[in-house]
Amino acid sequence: MKEIEVPKEENKTLDGMQKVMYTKDSQGDFITENYGSNIEEFATKTAVDEYELLKEEALLDMSKGISSPICFFMYENRMDLPTLASMVGMFAFRVKRHLKMKHFKKLNEKLLQKYADTFNISIDELRNFKYGK
Amino acid sequence: MENNFKHSQFAHCESGVISTLISSYGLKLSEPMAFGITSTLSFVFIPLVKINGMPLIAYRDLPKNIVKKISKVLNIKMNKKVYSNKEEANEELTSLVNDGNLVGLQTSVFYLPYFPKDMRFHFNAHNLLVYGKENNDYLISDPVFEEEVKCNENELNKARFAKGAFAPKGFIYYPDEIPKDIDFSSIIKKAIKKNAKSMLTPFPFAGVKGMNKLAKKISTLKRDNNDRFLKNYLTHIVRMQEEIGTGGGGFRFLYAAFLSESKQYNLDEKILDEASALLIKSGNTLREFALLCVTASKNLDKFDAKVIAKKLEEASSYEKEAFTLLKKI
Repeated sequence: MKEIEVPKEENKTLDGMQKVMYTKDSQGDFITENYGSNIEEFATKTAVDEYELLKEEALLDMSKGISSPICFFMYENRMDLPTLASMVGMFAFRVKRHLKMKHFKKLNEKLLQKYADTFNISIDELRNFKYGK
Repeated sequence: MENNFKHSQFAHCESGVISTLISSYGLKLSEPMAFGITSTLSFVFIPLVKINGMPLIAYRDLPKNIVKKISKVLNIKMNKKVYSNKEEANEELTSLVNDGNLVGLQTSVFYLPYFPKDMRFHFNAHNLLVYGKENNDYLISDPVFEEEVKCNENELNKARFAKGAFAPKGFIYYPDEIPKDIDFSSIIKKAIKKNAKSMLTPFPFAGVKGMNKLAKKISTLKRDNNDRFLKNYLTHIVRMQEEIGTGGGGFRFLYAAFLSESKQYNLDEKILDEASALLIKSGNTLREFALLCVTASKNLDKFDAKVIAKKLEEASSYEKEAFTLLKKI
């Protein structure tokens, strides 16, 4: 068995790209070699899927009038609360309020614009975002 | 300074960029060397610092460590700059590359359009090299890609000014002067000792102790109605090790390669060989550990916290042995 086994499995999350890792050649010298790891694929996929789940939950909460579109777009853009807060330059507790529908409804144009810019969408898309669209 | 730039693919972004950058300006520096002489191998587990609700786990030193330390260690004059203004940052980068400079950048992965969609997360400490500009596209040597890539200036600007943890603030770096005669033997000796010290630190959340701390945390994990959390927790550890890291025990193999390369500089070969072999063992064990984490999250009925924790402890024991040896170099 080789000292460092290089996995040659499929990893769909890389979209055909391949990364390299260090291993030893038959002379015992270190070289880099392309690898594919389905362990890595699974871990990445789980993280991607988690955002999909969070989005679905946000949509469900939206249909009940609890969550705001900001909550959906936060997960759509793979952000968590601290990341979004840092992006829009507000305290996390304030952003947390805006994730609720009842506070979202009262937001002024300026604040909505900040969020829309962060999510790279128009202010209308944010304000009129509907479940199931 | 004249450069003879050639794109290569590397295991890790920051050491890769530094290796290409310094080598292009005449001082041949391999990726393992760049990684090793900056004492970058590490382990950190800080449950209080959360990323997406998950604890901070890192398998190497903080981002920017290599860029910061390389100039100090090699006595290179490195220009470094952060910006508050996007336009200014963009103009300066354009004029730098148009003058034939190679420039290292810190960016967020999320906004780089050439990355596969599933890989695009808000990870702000990705390093890449810009070597030219065609119309509105920057020509980029991204160390984790096989070939050179291109990126529109608007999109690159977004990636350079992403907010959040480790916000890059448009950070750029490029060398000014690279000294000719460098005493690698003493530099490497010092770097190895320093790394050994940091891996054997008494601080409980870092180095070998940090690995054991995480093992202990894993051994307390139970399956009480939190399957989703458990699955995310286990795969989070794997992602920090594999995806943000460099494949399996990637950083361990990288350091082992550094130790092996160091043999040509008049250091104790026996110690270097033994430690290199131990780090390879640790890297292999870490990969088995990752496999255990993934197998358990695929089928949580078979989840056995003790077995997973034990694997990590095994890896930490190899590293303890390796760095205890290296301390004496």
